[in-house]
Amino acid sequence: SAAAGLERPQVVSHAQQALSYTVFDCKWVPRSARLLCLGSAARGTGLIQLYELRGARLELLREIEKPKPIKCGTFGATSLQQRYLATGDFDGNLNIWNLEAPEIPVYSVKGHKEIINSIDGVGGLGIGEGAPEIVTGSRDGTVKVWDPRQNDTPVANMEPVQGESKRDCWTVAFGNAYNQEERVVCAGYDNGDIKLFDLKTMSLRWETNIKNGVCSVEFDRKDINMNKLVATSLEGKFHVFDMRTQHPTKGFASVSEKAQKSTIWQVRHLPQNRDIFMTSGGSGSLHLWKYEYPAQRSKKDSEGCEMGVAGSVSLLQNVTLSTQPICSLDWSPDKKGLCVCGAFDQTVRVLIVTKLNKI
Amino acid sequence: MPVWLREHSWRQTLSAVHLSLPLRGARATSANIFCSEQYLKVSIPPFLFEAILYAPIDDTNSTAKIGDGSIFFTLYKKEPAMWDSLTLANADKEKLQYLRENAVLKAQEKAKEETEAKKITKQEHKKYALEATMKLEEAERTRIEDLKEKERQKVAKELELWKNQQKDGDKYRITQKKGELHQEIEPLKERKNEKLNKTRIPNEGTSKTRLKSTKGCRDSCSIFSQNLKEEQLPAPRAAATIKVNFTPRVFPTALRESRVAEEEEWLHKQAEARRIINSDLSELEDLKEEEKNPDWLKDKGNKMFAMGDYLGAVNAYNLAVRLNNKLPLLYLNRAACHLKLRNLHKAIEDSSKALELLTPPVPDNENARVKAHVRRGTAFCQLELYTEGLQDYEAALKIDPKNKNVEEDAEKIRHLIQGTMQSS
Repeated sequence: SAAAGLERPQVVSHAQQALSYTVFDCKWVPRSARLLCLGSAARGTGLIQLYELRGARLELLREIEKPKPIKCGTFGATSLQQRYLATGDFDGNLNIWNLEAPEIPVYSVKGHKEIINSIDGVGGLGIGEGAPEIVTGSRDGTVKVWDPRQNDTPVANMEPVQGESKRDCWTVAFGNAYNQEERVVCAGYDNGDIKLFDLKTMSLRWETNIKNGVCSVEFDRKDINMNKLVATSLEGKFHVFDMRTQHPTKGFASVSEKAQKSTIWQVRHLPQNRDIFMTSGGSGSLHLWKYEYPAQRSKKDSEGCEMGVAGSVSLLQNVTLSTQPICSLDWSPDKKGLCVCGAFDQTVRVLIVTKLNKI
Repeated sequence: MPVWLREHSWRQTLSAVHLSLPLRGARATSANIFCSEQYLKVSIPPFLFEAILYAPIDDTNSTAKIGDGSIFFTLYKKEPAMWDSLTLANADKEKLQYLRENAVLKAQEKAKEETEAKKITKQEHKKYALEATMKLEEAERTRIEDLKEKERQKVAKELELWKNQQKDGDKYRITQKKGELHQEIEPLKERKNEKLNKTRIPNEGTSKTRLKSTKGCRDSCSIFSQNLKEEQLPAPRAAATIKVNFTPRVFPTALRESRVAEEEEWLHKQAEARRIINSDLSELEDLKEEEKNPDWLKDKGNKMFAMGDYLGAVNAYNLAVRLNNKLPLLYLNRAACHLKLRNLHKAIEDSSKALELLTPPVPDNENARVKAHVRRGTAFCQLELYTEGLQDYEAALKIDPKNKNVEEDAEKIRHLIQGTMQSS
């Protein structure tokens, strides 16, 4: 009934801004009501725009132009005082910018031979422990981990074996960073491969193939013992892996869901509740999901080995905002339910998801 | 013949006539009564009562009460006046007839009018019902919209509040930090010197970066806070490489489940094509580039045929077929060679193969098909299998009825067949 429908979380459109360029990534600036849009201008240069949310409008505070189009950015490895932005561009350059003085990057390296598709940062923003690190995944098939204190060379390089033809790496994510030593990187590739690299032992910890190109991976929390991993793919599917129990041959248990016909471009977990996440789709829609744990998270198989048990996923709400794919999504870490999304119709939208407290 | 009811009694007032009609045991319903302005009829077979009234009455309002073995009529007069009698005295047959018909017509009209009126009222009721439903739905919709709007406004207000809190919080934090740091600068400097001596950061590289980063910072406060944090951080990881193997995929495009079937088919076809070419790889390696081209070989074969070198032509066609066994013209031409060489069975084989490859039969390959049939027909005839040969010639004629040569040859064969039949 209508009443029951209104009890569910609602996605309320709060503000939107038409842009004159293609926006590839949008991020909230931590501890503020400001957000960044990163993209590619028509003349082939990169753009960073800083907006502030004022009432029901977005006001442009600053615009920074860079020589190469920018594909992705993160605040994950920076401190709360500095709030430096790390970006990956179409040429394979990793740069870290001080937005107060953006003319010269604080850190710069030509990390990859081709476009950096995805970037993630860990160890910053007062979250978790350990060194600040940035991981980049590129079309050249490599995944590299960088420490902003070390110039020019990455601290970890996951590259194809000699002679093997490369696959595009489409997405990367940090996880398991619950103390100073532990850290993993998860990478998704265009041939459906998902690989989990353990940085403490510098080895491949797990891999699988989900039969469709992997568009986005994210752990529900970066800074805890790895709990859940969501991987989204082409053809409207996503998989939720239970990362607490690894079986020697079967790997991690998972549940998968087909949300829609089109590609699921992004998944983002709500910072304030790790069992709620939002997926954005190629049809311009957003779906809000809740994961429910099973009664028992692990069980023994026929040989007595521990294996994980996946739970279930239920759809809380969905809304269609655009006719073009929504390529980027970011929850505000400071205000529960506030999120920003950027779509290929050159619009950035600020949304508020209500009633998340009642879940 | 109906039985007339004549026993009736009536009274009248200025405005109404009361007529009582006894029914002799018969049962009456409203269907048996027919009344119009000036004509009243009660027909209960076999009884019949008929009356042409003295003056017109208002038949819609007049009533008839049925009960107690009689019908009691109350007829309201159109014009209040006293009637001399109930019925018109000098009613002749024609007038009767006319009045009867008139009455019937009037009744029909009335019935029609009534149905019309009913229809109209029905429509109006429907319309009213529809409007009522629409209003209800509209109300519901506005209620939901209002709820949503309220939600939106509430949320917007909360957001503003939070934003202001943020701003205040920031200001407070900055001033607090400045205060704290000013107090701590001296002891910090001492501690820093100590730590530099027993630093956990071994190599030069990182101390250089530390200098670099301090250059980037302008605010003196942040230098100290940053250094403090740095000393608590572990050193950059020892660089290492992890080698990665990918799930093999031939295509450079991304993997999509729905395309897998198509891709498999494409790969299969490619594999087959390659297999054919590579079947006698060792021999083919000796050939020159042009000799690996079936079309070039076909041309060579054609030239040799024209010059009369039938064996050479066959060789050329053979090689071409090894490279590409799907070209019908190769078999067609080779059949011609075999005919000349009197390899009749081979000629038949090749013509048949050519015809197989020349499906579907379309105007484009008419020529080729005619040739194939003719060649096969010729071969049959030379083997003295005249009926089969004739079949082929007739097939050729069917494709190209205007071909004189084929017609003549077909005739010849028919004669031959008839000849042999006659003689045997």
